Amino acid sequence: MTTIVNNLALPFTGIFISFIGYLLGMLLFNKSHGFFLFNPLLVAMVFGISVLGMWAVIVHSDTATIYLKFYKPGGDIIFWFLNPATMSFAIPLYRRNDVFKKYWFDIIVTIFVGCFIAIFAIDQVTKLFGLSHASAAAMLPQAATTAVAMPIASEIGGVPAVTAMACIINAVFIYALGDILIKVLHLNKLPKVSNGLGLSTAGHAIGSVKALQLGEVEGASAAIAVVLVAVAMDILVPIYAHLFM
Amino acid sequence: MDNQKKETPIIVQCGIYAIILFVAQLISSLFPANFSAPAPLIGVILLYILLSTHVIKLHQVEKLGDFMLGLIAFLFVPSGIQLAGSMELMKTEGVKDILVSIIATLILLIIICFIGAALIRPHARLAKSAK
Repeated sequence: MTTIVNNLALPFTGIFISFIGYLLGMLLFNKSHGFFLFNPLLVAMVFGISVLGMWAVIVHSDTATIYLKFYKPGGDIIFWFLNPATMSFAIPLYRRNDVFKKYWFDIIVTIFVGCFIAIFAIDQVTKLFGLSHASAAAMLPQAATTAVAMPIASEIGGVPAVTAMACIINAVFIYALGDILIKVLHLNKLPKVSNGLGLSTAGHAIGSVKALQLGEVEGASAAIAVVLVAVAMDILVPIYAHLFM
Repeated sequence: MDNQKKETPIIVQCGIYAIILFVAQLISSLFPANFSAPAPLIGVILLYILLSTHVIKLHQVEKLGDFMLGLIAFLFVPSGIQLAGSMELMKTEGVKDILVSIIATLILLIIICFIGAALIRPHARLAKSAK
């Protein structure tokens, strides 16, 4: 029995749960003809969390412990591959090199001005909801990718785990509702470049993939935003926190 | 055409990635602690520069890159399930945090899209009228 428990703590378990959840999601997504709540990422998340939750109930433990012991070793291996995957955004960017050459100035101004206004707006929303300083500060850098946002959050007194959660919610939200949002907000009438920037800023790497699906121009501008937003947040959030918080 | 040439073996493509990420990681450690520049972001810039200067040809990284980009939604699964590990956070301000995150996503999408459009539209129009 102990051997089984020990072996379950090897990375195979986490990888297995991730794949089963995702494949189940793909199946449901196809069967429901693309119903947005059945998108594979969301299904895999809900499936994985429920499995860990039930597991915890069965062995009289708590979900966090089960997560750390049995899921995280495998999850970390999958998670690592986000590094080369993120790097791959250089390829769509290079394919449509003309986009950056033509609009570089507009893109940089959009990201910096847009991010500053967005930080201000998000800060107002956190005040409206009456969040504690630790949570409010964690919300500000969420437009940057998780690896950049977490250190910024702790620097200005936020809880990095909340930032990580916010980043995931951004990505899942855009992944699930991206198409609907594009329709509702009439984004298809806007220039392709700004749509790519917006999707990438709001939805991180997943938003950028969504932009790639829309077209090459959107994809290239989203790839630029992946890097630029991180730089903008690195610079702007500490300044904002210094001035207004 | 590039893609009609003999295909670069996938192991070589992985090797190119490994080299760039390794160098990116070294460069990343040069940045001060309060200006985080993680290796993959430096990797994007390095790979873009190498492609633009034709040190690396597109067909030498294209297949692996497209494959990786197609995987991104799946690669986010562990981050999502990670929420199971932060149930304690949920208990304190979790619902509010989730709501603010969703509103923030909308704020970011709308502000960036519309500011971008406001800047790029006149630019595109100017370029057209100049022709």
